[in-house]
Amino acid sequence: MAILEDGLQYHIRMKEGDVGRYVFLPGDPFRTDLIARFLDDAKLVAHNREHKTWTGYLDGVKVSVTSTGMGCPSAAICIEELIKIGADTFIRIGTAGRVAPESYDENLDGIICTAAVRDEGTTVHYIPIEYPAVADRHVVDALARAAKARGLNYLEGITQSKDSFYGQHEPDNMPAAARLHERWNAWIKGNVLCSEMESSALFVISSIRKVRAAAIMNFKNMDDTIQVACDAVRLLAREDGEIE
Amino acid sequence: MSFFEQGSELQYHIKMKKGDVGRYVFLPGDPFRTDYIASFLDDAKLVAHNREHKTWTGYLDGVKVSVTSTGMGCPSAAICVEELIKIGADTFIRIGTAGPVRSPEDAVKYDGAICTAAVRDEGTTVHYIPIEYPAVADRHVIAALAEAAKARGLNYLEGITQSKDSFYGEVDPDSSPSGDRLKERWKAWQMGNVVASEMEAAAIFVISSIRKKRAGAIMNWGNMADTIQVACDAVRLLIKQDSKN
Repeated sequence: MAILEDGLQYHIRMKEGDVGRYVFLPGDPFRTDLIARFLDDAKLVAHNREHKTWTGYLDGVKVSVTSTGMGCPSAAICIEELIKIGADTFIRIGTAGRVAPESYDENLDGIICTAAVRDEGTTVHYIPIEYPAVADRHVVDALARAAKARGLNYLEGITQSKDSFYGQHEPDNMPAAARLHERWNAWIKGNVLCSEMESSALFVISSIRKVRAAAIMNFKNMDDTIQVACDAVRLLAREDGEIE
Repeated sequence: MSFFEQGSELQYHIKMKKGDVGRYVFLPGDPFRTDYIASFLDDAKLVAHNREHKTWTGYLDGVKVSVTSTGMGCPSAAICVEELIKIGADTFIRIGTAGPVRSPEDAVKYDGAICTAAVRDEGTTVHYIPIEYPAVADRHVIAALAEAAKARGLNYLEGITQSKDSFYGEVDPDSSPSGDRLKERWKAWQMGNVVASEMEAAAIFVISSIRKKRAGAIMNWGNMADTIQVACDAVRLLIKQDSKN
């Protein structure tokens, strides 16, 4: 069932044809402008609430960027509606904190996320918590190849997707401090490489809806990370037969 | 900390020490199936058999490869994987049988399933790390399995497996007081495109992620010989890649 208003998806305010099958997903609406600069002939398509979308081209293939807003609740809305209007391949581009010791390497450009800790309240509305939040291995592979070709240094691994930013940054300020510390230590020992707020919803919903998703988190230069994501889409578009 | 057999260097349950296994280990559930898998290795020797853990070590392309049975269920699979890691194994391919989940037609249309991740529908891995943590396979092991299957013209589904603790909860949910819950959750796994149901992958994946080892799984509902061949070819591909790295 689609909830429409004037023929447009309720929250992202777009219809079929407004976006490409490849969509970049930053959290921040303002970052869509920055990402759109890397697309050819990008046009602003919609901006409602925290969801701002530009659509342009990479190697002649239609590609869009839509902001999810912060957290899995709005990310889930955004992804559901994008799927309804034809998107089938998502790359989240975002910022993240560091978790396991190896993620603190100063030479790292960022993290490519292969799976996510479901430390959030949205995806249990979809499917029981035991279900894995896992990225599509072909999208991960495209990101890894693109990063390597540019000589950049991204680690590959698991991200923690949390609902509370300040629970991570100021745990002692929370009545639930002991639980937050104990679980953070578990993620460290589980080799979780980064901490952010949307990948879990993206991965779970993509597995359920049979679309592809991955995420690349930036530690250093956002332009580099965006370039890697653009190159990954170029590789996928070629492999998908969108470019001859 | 290791638990050794008193007065020896043998791991407590698998009864082996460093050098007894290769870094590449096949993991069937059934001890009797290790014999069959060993027949695909060169110069395979029986190394140990204690409880449900039976191990053969042989060679593929001249490189040491082993097969150890996990027994049924994540509790014994976890013991097995922990002890294998302690004696030097770092790459695991579970070879097993499974039932289809998404649709019974999958059992007709496909040769089996290559498992990219697992539903943690079991009680073992929460002793390791909270339930929100993903049970995910190593993508390079999965790529090797997929490439090997394709080269043999076989057609395996790729996707998520459900790792459960109760076999009869799946095949006969109504005989259980929790039948309604079991059926409700089964339906959720179907809508979540879960492709297979078995009993060990979640423990193998979670422990491998925590211990920084590589793991994948290939399940079949038909021809075991084909599946073993694919797993052997996948190890040959990994051997080639690992020698370059």
